Amino acid sequence: MNSALVSPRRPSAVNMLGYTALAGMETKTFLVYHWSVVVDLIKNLIATIVFVYFWRALYAQTPAIAGLSLDATLAYVLLARIFQPLGSFMLVSEFGHQMRQGALAHIQLRPLDIQLAYYVQNLASVVVALGRQLPVALVALLVFRLRLPTNPAVWGVFILSALLGRSVLFCFDYILGCVAFYTTSAWGLGFAIFGLSLFVGGGLVPLVMLPDWLRPIVLNTPFAQAFYVPISLLSGVAPLSQAPRLLLIQFLWLLGLAPLSRLVFAVAIRRVTVQGG
Amino acid sequence: MAVIEVENLSKVFRISQKEPGLGGAFKALVRPRYTDKAAVAGISFTVEPAEIVGYIGVNGAGKSTTIKMLTGVLVPSGGQVRVLGRDPHKQRVANANDIGVVFGQRTQLWWDLALIESLNLVAKIYQVDPARYRQLLDQFAETLELKPLLSVPIRQMSLGQKMRAELAATLIHEPKIVYLDEPTIGLDLIVKERIREFIKQQNQTRGTTVILTTHDLGDIEELCKRVLIIDAGQLIYDGPLATIKARFGKFRSITFETLQDVGGFQQVPDGAETLSTDERKLVLRFDRTLTTASKVAKAVMDQLEVVDFSLAEPDLGSVVKQIYGGALREPAA
Repeated sequence: MNSALVSPRRPSAVNMLGYTALAGMETKTFLVYHWSVVVDLIKNLIATIVFVYFWRALYAQTPAIAGLSLDATLAYVLLARIFQPLGSFMLVSEFGHQMRQGALAHIQLRPLDIQLAYYVQNLASVVVALGRQLPVALVALLVFRLRLPTNPAVWGVFILSALLGRSVLFCFDYILGCVAFYTTSAWGLGFAIFGLSLFVGGGLVPLVMLPDWLRPIVLNTPFAQAFYVPISLLSGVAPLSQAPRLLLIQFLWLLGLAPLSRLVFAVAIRRVTVQGG
Repeated sequence: MAVIEVENLSKVFRISQKEPGLGGAFKALVRPRYTDKAAVAGISFTVEPAEIVGYIGVNGAGKSTTIKMLTGVLVPSGGQVRVLGRDPHKQRVANANDIGVVFGQRTQLWWDLALIESLNLVAKIYQVDPARYRQLLDQFAETLELKPLLSVPIRQMSLGQKMRAELAATLIHEPKIVYLDEPTIGLDLIVKERIREFIKQQNQTRGTTVILTTHDLGDIEELCKRVLIIDAGQLIYDGPLATIKARFGKFRSITFETLQDVGGFQQVPDGAETLSTDERKLVLRFDRTLTTASKVAKAVMDQLEVVDFSLAEPDLGSVVKQIYGGALREPAA
C-alpha cells in the first residue's frame, strides 16, 4: 500500500460547505427543465388573473368583507400568489418516492445530518421557486397596480416571519413524511394535505374572512404559521404592532416541532425495510 | 485488527400475508396477518484491512440485507456489527465518512445534472481537500475513461457509463471500506474488465477493503481470494476461494468431435459419465480423483474415430451451482 496516496482528510463536525453545496444542487436541478419553468409560469399567471377577477366579482355587491376593502383583499391575494412557494408542501410525497425507489439508503449514507440536509434543500427549492415567481410579481405590480409596503420594518418582519414559518412547516412536513416509512406510499396523503394547506394556510382566502368559530382553529395550524402570518404582515392585514406577538407564536411552534420532528424521524427510520438488492 | 466484526448478526422482516384476489386484499386490510422472515439468521465473520472479500449467494439469500446492516442503513434485529470499531447505525455520520457504497441498481448521482456536478458535490460533502480532489479526479477520469462524460447528465449515460461514474463518486473521498453490491450487473465484458481493474488498483494502491456481492463469478475469480457464501440467511462457507474450487472442482468435462455418428459409443469408461451426445459430438464428465483425461480419451478413441477433442477446466459457476445445491452440507470426499 502506498501511504503517500492515503487521504489527509479530516472531516469537521459541521460541514457547512457540504450543506451549501447540497442547496446549490437543488437550485441547479430546478433550473434544468426549461419547459417546466415556462409551463409553471403560464399556470401561475392564469391563476393570478382568475383570482383577481373572482374577488372583483365578489366585491361588486359589497364594499367590504370582514372589514377588508377590495384593495386590501387584492393586495393580500396578489402577495399570496407571488409568495405562494412559502406554503409549499413536499416531503410527504418525496419520502414515499424515496422509499419506493430505495433512494433513502443513499441519503442515509451521506455523512450529513439528514434533517439539516433536507432543510437546506427545502429552503433552497423555496428560494428558487420564489425567484420563478418574478413574472407574476411584475404582472401584479404593473397590470394590477399592487402597491408594496415602503416601510423597511414591514419587510424586515416579513422576512423573519417567512423564515420562521417556513421552518415550522418544514418540521411538520418532516413528521408527516415519516408516514411513508409505514405505508411506503404517501402520495394520496400528500395530495389531500396539499389541498387542505391551500385553504387552511390562507392561500385562497384571507383567514380573517373565515367564520369566528373556524378562524382560531385554522390560525393555529402550521400552514397558517408558514403562509398566512407572513403574508398578512406584508399586506397590512395584520398591522406591524402585532408582529412581536405573531413572531413569538411562530418561534414557539418551531421550538415544539423541531425536536418532535427529529424524534419522530429517529423512530420511523428504524422501520425502514429496504429488503433485497 | 479486523475492520469489520460481525457477531451473530440477524435481521427479521415482518411480512404481511395476503390471500390472492380482491377479497384477500380486503381481508388483509381489515385483519392483517404477518409472518416473520429471517433474512439474515445469526452470521458471524471478520474482515481484515485491505482484504477483498466476495459475498455470494442466490437471490434472497440475505446478501444485500447484510450489506445494509454493515453500512448502517438497516438496524439489525439481533447480534452485533462493528465497522472500524463503530456501530454503523448509531454512529451513522462517522461511519459514512469512512465508507463508500455502490448499489448496482440504484444511483447516488444527480440524475438531471452533469457528472462533474455530482462529483464536486460528493467532494464537498466528504470534505475532500480541493487539491487532492483535482488529483483524484484526474486519476479516475483517466482510469475509468470519464473525461468525455464529465459534462454529460447522468440520465443520458449508458449503463456502463453510469457504473463507471458511480464508482468514481463512491471512491473520490478515498474510503477505507467499499461495499460493492452487484457493481457489474448488466454490463458488457469490456466495461466489466475495466471496473475490475479499477477495484483491484484501488485495493492495491490505497489498501481499500472491499466487500463485493455479485452473481458474476468472473468478478469473484478476478478479485477475491476469500469468499463468504450465504444461503437462506446463514453463512455456509467462509474461506479461501481456492479451497472450494479444489473440493468441488474435481470434475472435468471432455468434448470429442468424431468422424462417424456417436451412436456407436457404448462403453463409458470408469469414473466418467456422458453429459451429452450430438450426431458427431460427445461430451463426457469425469472425476479426476478416480480416473485421468488420457484414460477417458483412450477409452473413447478405442470405440470411435476422434477428429478433435478438448478438455474444460472446472469453472467457478459449476462449483457454486453444486454449493447452492447443498453440496457443502455433505461431508467432504
